[in-house]
Amino acid sequence: MKRLLGVALGILTAIGGFVDIGDLVTNSVVGARFGMGLAWVVVIGIIGICAFAHMSGRVAAVSGRATFEIIRERLGARAAGANLLASFFINLMTVTAEVGGIALTLQLASSITYLAWIPVAAFFVWLVVWRVKFKILENVTGLLGLCLVAFAVALFQLGPNWLDLAGQALNPTVPGNESPWTYWYYAVALFGAAMTPYEVFFFSSGAIEEKWGPKDVAQSRINVLVGFPLGGLLSLAIAACAAVVLMPQGITVSSLSQVVLPVAEAGGKIGLIVVLVGILAATFGAALETTLSSGYTLAQYFGWTWGKRHRPAEAARFHVSMIATLLVGIAILATGVDPVMVTELSVVFSAVALPLTYVPILVVANDPQYMGDAVNGRFLNGLGTIYLVIILAAAIAAIPLMVITGAGA
Amino acid sequence: MNENGKAPAGKVLDAILHLLDRQIKDTEGLVVSVVDDLEISLPDDGRTLDADAEAPMLTNLLMGPTLATRLFGGQPPPERMMRIPWSDVARVGTVLELRNRAEGLPVRWVEHWLRDHVIARIPGGRHDPE
Amino acid sequence: MILSDLLGSEVRDAQGQKVGLVADARFALNGPVRGSGSVAGARMIGLVVGRHGASRRMGYERRDVNRPWPLAQILGRRDRGSFLVLWPDIESVRPGQVVLRNGFTRHDASL
Repeated sequence: MKRLLGVALGILTAIGGFVDIGDLVTNSVVGARFGMGLAWVVVIGIIGICAFAHMSGRVAAVSGRATFEIIRERLGARAAGANLLASFFINLMTVTAEVGGIALTLQLASSITYLAWIPVAAFFVWLVVWRVKFKILENVTGLLGLCLVAFAVALFQLGPNWLDLAGQALNPTVPGNESPWTYWYYAVALFGAAMTPYEVFFFSSGAIEEKWGPKDVAQSRINVLVGFPLGGLLSLAIAACAAVVLMPQGITVSSLSQVVLPVAEAGGKIGLIVVLVGILAATFGAALETTLSSGYTLAQYFGWTWGKRHRPAEAARFHVSMIATLLVGIAILATGVDPVMVTELSVVFSAVALPLTYVPILVVANDPQYMGDAVNGRFLNGLGTIYLVIILAAAIAAIPLMVITGAGA
Repeated sequence: MNENGKAPAGKVLDAILHLLDRQIKDTEGLVVSVVDDLEISLPDDGRTLDADAEAPMLTNLLMGPTLATRLFGGQPPPERMMRIPWSDVARVGTVLELRNRAEGLPVRWVEHWLRDHVIARIPGGRHDPE
Repeated sequence: MILSDLLGSEVRDAQGQKVGLVADARFALNGPVRGSGSVAGARMIGLVVGRHGASRRMGYERRDVNRPWPLAQILGRRDRGSFLVLWPDIESVRPGQVVLRNGFTRHDASL
């Protein structure tokens, strides 16, 4: 019975933890402009993140080495250094977006301006990273993140034409008022939002933090294969809500209040409260993961002692670098830049950064020196190679598309 | 292989393949640093070597501020590089394990400085995460 | 000598012709053990000389790592033509240039 509860907890946490501010904003923006016409990208993204999150966890568990240690060893100091600069910069962008997301949610919930919430949000993110145990952090944010199911509930309450929605998804067309370039730009953005690079850093470092053995790898496989797709369904629900409520009225998404509008319409005040709790938990959880990822990547490249399992006094550089990251995030947000725009840019840049993280993982997963007998099987390699092509295509296309479409204007 | 065409005695290691950019851990598993460079007992003045000169030995592991120089060129001055003698290495695997504890090593000075001047000033820094 | 001064250096034969670049330095753990619990001393047995110099090929160089197939083909290709030169065949060494003795032997570099 206890085992069953443990498995359930893992799955539920994976579902609730899947969505972050990037998924929220991008799916909503896309739903309002393209209906369900980009749903296929979400599906591709989910399969991809399942394969690579599990692969990186397995590599960490079997080899005992975390992602950026491996990147440094395989690529050498120079290439890995360039990789670090790019990954860290994009991670910083994501941290900023997530902290901004927390502040926006708190602004929606209270009537206090978002700018006042920024330092509060960052402080609490830091406090949890500083003091709270890894497992608790994951479980609480994951379970509360399940409140995002309010989007799915709202969708049912709205009584949409299901056939119509399915038709949009299965037979994607570019709406008359949009250009195909913008369609593909948002395809790349959605892909980057689903395949978040920081997930690989976080997953593999977490596997080492928690000292995964074979049983944990098996549990993780269940969490990922069951939890992530269900979490992906939440992404689709967010898009569908926007498609059903915002698109017919020609409302485009530029703020968080528009993202939650469908839920408020369908579920009233209670629905709104539940969904805000869900967004707060999901964004807070993602802020924790990305902040930790910044610490992990720096520490693993430079060879600092790292990990939440150590007392901060034993991992001083690790913790100082995360404090610095959060401070820079606060500074960026304090300039008054629109956090929704930061979010939209961060997912596109994430798509550019994807090859930097995924190629080394795929390579090391095949290296007997690290994996012994547990190297990738044919199926996973085949899947991994196909995704390598997709990832490279998205990475190469991202910036040109951004320029051509003016970042999706 | 050696001159007789036979494999040499002892484990064979290539510098880039097996040693450079590898993590260095102390005897308790704590990460000490990463191998940024290596030092060998060969004079670098380009002198002609005797036909029966002894092969150079790997003398030290080097750690130092190499990120900027690797990206943009040049070398950090040898005085800025910290050394761990090869004789301190106990095991070579995917990670280099030392035979002593990290605490006494000079590479730890940034870590200790930050610990004493920043971390210690923040409440809870010395506690285990609860 | 600092090893990164040696890696990537030009390798010339006794007549001054360029033969390649130093791709790696090979050691064998058969030297004296200098302390209790220490690993054996690492003695240099030779240099790996190749066309491309000291860069990483993500593990596909000279080893039994050959999957996934497409990556192995693309990245492993760079190693063709590299060979091992043993220490006795090295005449002089300075940062940026290694000179080999007359009649040096090219050995197989695979591990």
